[in-house]
Amino acid sequence: MKRSFYASAAALALSSGMAMADAHGGLVFPVGEGDFNWASYEAFAAAHDLTGQTVTISGPWLSPEADRFDALLAYFEAATGADATYTGSDSFEQQIVIDAEAGSAPNIAVFPQPGLAANMAANGLLTPLGADNAAWVSENFAAGPSWVDLGTYADQSGADQFYGFFFNVNVKSLVWYVPENFEDAGYEVPTTMEELIALSDQIVADGGTPWCIGLGSGAATGWPATDWVEDLMLRTQTPDVYDAWVANEIPFNDPRVVEAIETFGQFARNDAYVMGGAGAVATTDFRDSPAGLFQSPPGCYMHRQASFIPAFFPDGTVVGEDADFFYFPAFAEKDLGSPVLGGGTLMAITDPSDATMAFVEFLKTPVAHEIMMAQGGFLTPHSGVNLATYETDTLRGQGEILLNATTFRFDGSDLMPGAIGAGSFWTGMVDYAGGADAAAVADTIQQSWDAIK
Amino acid sequence: MEHIAGRKSGLSWAVHFSALALVIVWVLPTLGLLVSSFRTTDQIRSSGWWAALFPAVQNETYRTADPDEARVDLGDGLYLVSGNIFVEGGVAANLDEIVREITVWGASSRAIDAYQPDEVADLGEGETLTVTARGDYEWRGTADQIEGRGARIFVTVSAPPDFTLGNYQNVLFDPSNREGMSKAFFNTLTVTIPATIIPILIAAFAAYALAWMEFPGRALLIAAVVGLLVVPLQLALIPLLKLHNDIGIGKGYLGVWLAHTGFGLPLAIYLLRNYMVGLPREVIENARVDGATEFQIFTRIILPLSFPALASFAIFQFLWTWNDLLVAMVFLIDSSGETTVMTRQLVEMMGTRGGDWEILATSAFVSIAVPLVVFFSLQRYLVRGLLAGSVK
Amino acid sequence: MSPIMQAALTILIGVGGCVGYFYLSNQILDRVLFPARGANAGRNINRANAIRPWLFLFPALFALALYLTYPVFETLRLSLTDRSLGGAFVGLENYARMTDDPKFWEALRNNFLWLLIVPAASTAFGLLAAQLTDRISWGNIAKSLIFMPMAISFVGAAVIFKLVYDARPEDVAQIGILNAVYLQLGGDSPITWLTVPFWNNIFLIIVLIWIQTGFAMVILSAALRGIPEETIEAAIVDGANPFQIFFKIKVPQIAGTIVVVWTTITIVVLKVFDIVFAMTNGQWETQVLANYMYDKLFRANDWGVGSAAAMVIMILVLPILVWNVYNARREMR
Repeated sequence: MKRSFYASAAALALSSGMAMADAHGGLVFPVGEGDFNWASYEAFAAAHDLTGQTVTISGPWLSPEADRFDALLAYFEAATGADATYTGSDSFEQQIVIDAEAGSAPNIAVFPQPGLAANMAANGLLTPLGADNAAWVSENFAAGPSWVDLGTYADQSGADQFYGFFFNVNVKSLVWYVPENFEDAGYEVPTTMEELIALSDQIVADGGTPWCIGLGSGAATGWPATDWVEDLMLRTQTPDVYDAWVANEIPFNDPRVVEAIETFGQFARNDAYVMGGAGAVATTDFRDSPAGLFQSPPGCYMHRQASFIPAFFPDGTVVGEDADFFYFPAFAEKDLGSPVLGGGTLMAITDPSDATMAFVEFLKTPVAHEIMMAQGGFLTPHSGVNLATYETDTLRGQGEILLNATTFRFDGSDLMPGAIGAGSFWTGMVDYAGGADAAAVADTIQQSWDAIK
Repeated sequence: MEHIAGRKSGLSWAVHFSALALVIVWVLPTLGLLVSSFRTTDQIRSSGWWAALFPAVQNETYRTADPDEARVDLGDGLYLVSGNIFVEGGVAANLDEIVREITVWGASSRAIDAYQPDEVADLGEGETLTVTARGDYEWRGTADQIEGRGARIFVTVSAPPDFTLGNYQNVLFDPSNREGMSKAFFNTLTVTIPATIIPILIAAFAAYALAWMEFPGRALLIAAVVGLLVVPLQLALIPLLKLHNDIGIGKGYLGVWLAHTGFGLPLAIYLLRNYMVGLPREVIENARVDGATEFQIFTRIILPLSFPALASFAIFQFLWTWNDLLVAMVFLIDSSGETTVMTRQLVEMMGTRGGDWEILATSAFVSIAVPLVVFFSLQRYLVRGLLAGSVK
Repeated sequence: MSPIMQAALTILIGVGGCVGYFYLSNQILDRVLFPARGANAGRNINRANAIRPWLFLFPALFALALYLTYPVFETLRLSLTDRSLGGAFVGLENYARMTDDPKFWEALRNNFLWLLIVPAASTAFGLLAAQLTDRISWGNIAKSLIFMPMAISFVGAAVIFKLVYDARPEDVAQIGILNAVYLQLGGDSPITWLTVPFWNNIFLIIVLIWIQTGFAMVILSAALRGIPEETIEAAIVDGANPFQIFFKIKVPQIAGTIVVVWTTITIVVLKVFDIVFAMTNGQWETQVLANYMYDKLFRANDWGVGSAAAMVIMILVLPILVWNVYNARREMR
């Protein structure tokens, strides 16, 4: 959920033999070559000249996603002559609020959570993108109206306006594994949740550890657990129960939610299931936790995480060969289809200027998406892009999951208001991972919902 | 105690020993960090810093060369791929520079210690693999077996201690390192120097007035300064941030300099006044009798004589602002990324690079290097400042 | 303008401005307003001398009033208003909400734990270190090494101890000293020390003790050396053993200094933010008031409750403030 913005993961430079462009240096893909839509690029460059102007962008991406975004900014700079800089912070959610209040906000903020953006819109700190842009998204994104809805919030006077342009989305219902380790041990990829649990027990019986789980993320510690709970909600309840949960139409401490939390506990609070034991879950950083997959002997066999996590695999890992994913399965006996959880980062204007509006135009061109797709770890619902530019078959596969799910739901905690989705839900899950009672944790989170009503 | 006859040597050894134990316990944590900053990633992962001088035992995974490119046709339908895993894996430049020694190895992730060096592993149906202690391998089999990706080889190696300056180079000098400390270093310097110099002057004048001028309310003001010494700066954060926003300073260097000046003044006035009160009365009286103005007395007599106290406070304030995190986070650091200070970088890194001790330890050491230098070279003044007014 | 230029300019303006202000204001006072000549020379001089202290004090007083006094009242006011209602006065509602929050009570309990342990332990270790190092030839080096952590930032200390407390999975080598020693002494499996309820507070407290002991040691060492030799020699002659001398003679003599060290460390403890922020951020029940306040202020954006928490810190500090002021006034008589 939270790290929707990290959705720019995947194969590393070494494996694809690609040189990384630095922030103000050369262009990663030479203009005119490859499957990119250069026509759109040329048209954009011809229409915009912003020499001498600057665009500042702030977001939660750190290395290496930040480097990939810098590579994209180089194209914008080359096309317009403007100066574009991106800065990332692990505590972006706090920083952006302080900065917007202090009047030192960047031009564009990359929000990992619509909930947070909605808060800021209500406080009058965002500039609307306008009805034209909303119409464009509705027509040009797959399931466009949903993306428009996700980016629409109430402004200070209560009127709904379109603020958030989704750029970089991800699929979350994935389990990563090392195929060769599975081969060595004779394990099969599970297709149902019952098989997954049986496989976990089998691995324990064979003397291994099935899962790597890490919740650490600086000031945002706890968000990976919220992804688990949301995925499990989709697999234990119908989609409308999920929607009601996200909007707090059913209380957070509803028995169905508590059941989902406890199902997560079956995985994360089981010392035999998790590498490092249940106590290490909350202290391991989510970026460090996949490392267990690649240890010798394997520290764990499976890691449930969103599509951006390959950015944090060891250098040289070839996604699709060294590491691969399978769909986080659903319960065969519950008959709820194949639900998919996903997320995304949205760009919103926190300090408008002409150059900023031009940057939004740049984000509408297919080539902007294709440049990110080709660097890896980036998925997009933009229907005008050339799918061949996806860096790997894996990503193409994820893109297809995104578009083919029987049920697709956006990450719940990202939709909840900031105080919950970036606050009590995170800390509550850390407490739960540390041994607190699920019902008690749910009660606390419901209390914070009540406090803001 | 030296006079206690007959008990001297026993007690004296006990004292030395206890003191040594205390010092060792106090130095050990910092020493661990320092040693870790000079080790390589693999070494840090495989052994604690106290074993840094001993060979480390590491589990590593290598892959043979790609069979599609490197296999040799031996005839009779048999193929061979051979080479050296360390050279191909990039950890040694050539066969002469191999420092690792394989103690056990395996062909499957399930049994990484199945074979001894030079033993031939039977992978089934005639496929064989063998690895020497130096890392030379031979992988034989039919065309169907020797294809696709290279075979994985799991080795347990004994690697000699490997110390490096590479971490410091990476942290300080690598321009593509987004989390590098060089910019933060200069930013911290930029925050600290004005924040140290400006309060001194303001406080010196005030301290002189409180020490050597008679006026009603003096005692009250001194008491007020003593009181303000205790006020926690948490109370000042929101109102001052609001104030800075309202008057247009916002977040930035000017704001943080003003904030540090304001927060440092009580201590400065207190320290300087205590010292100035101890200056010889006659010198000042004589100067007054000689017709010097107060301003002249201050600049020509008081300031030079107060140098030790000024130095003490300067060191205090320098260390305090250099090591500060909260004031910088609230008044200075914005989203442009240009204004980060070293303490902030460190906190971010504890989250993002928490497992990468080579980077974390090195960055931490870079951030504490300057205060340590200041501390060790100017300890005298620091101690004197601490003692001023504390010993009763 | 580049920050370095800005800094240089600010120093120039700051220093130059100060000097200029003092010089000019004195000149104006002495030459223009109350010149020391003519018929009223005497009276003028007296008037000038009465005004002059305020000239010297003015910049400092202005800064202190603005940066330390005004905020106290403003924070008090903010704690009684609600920001989301446009700053309307809501009485004690923020305090009520704060006392409803279990995290607040946890923070308060933890702060008392810190207050109980840190000053006592630091003073005790400081006294021990002072006594031991005063007697040995390499005492100065020992003192420097024990005092050194005072120069390190709290965040740096947090990193140092994060390494000490590090826990790796059971079958790999430990890189944290504490776990290595624990396993060596017979422990079953490595413990993630910072997540153990209640004891994790102690582990955080150890960091502050490590830093503050040097401070206590330096001051107590000077105090110990200030005890007159004759007192001790008389006691030795009377047959007292070293422990009796220490506890019955030395400690009472330096009681005043011990109180000063204790109260100073207490103030530092109440302000401790960086250590908890960097190492656990208040998770696993380690929350303290300073971190709680920062959390409410900047994560939840709740100025009302954040200010209320700040006022609680102020209230806790008040006894020491009163005591210090009382002592200061007593000394001046």
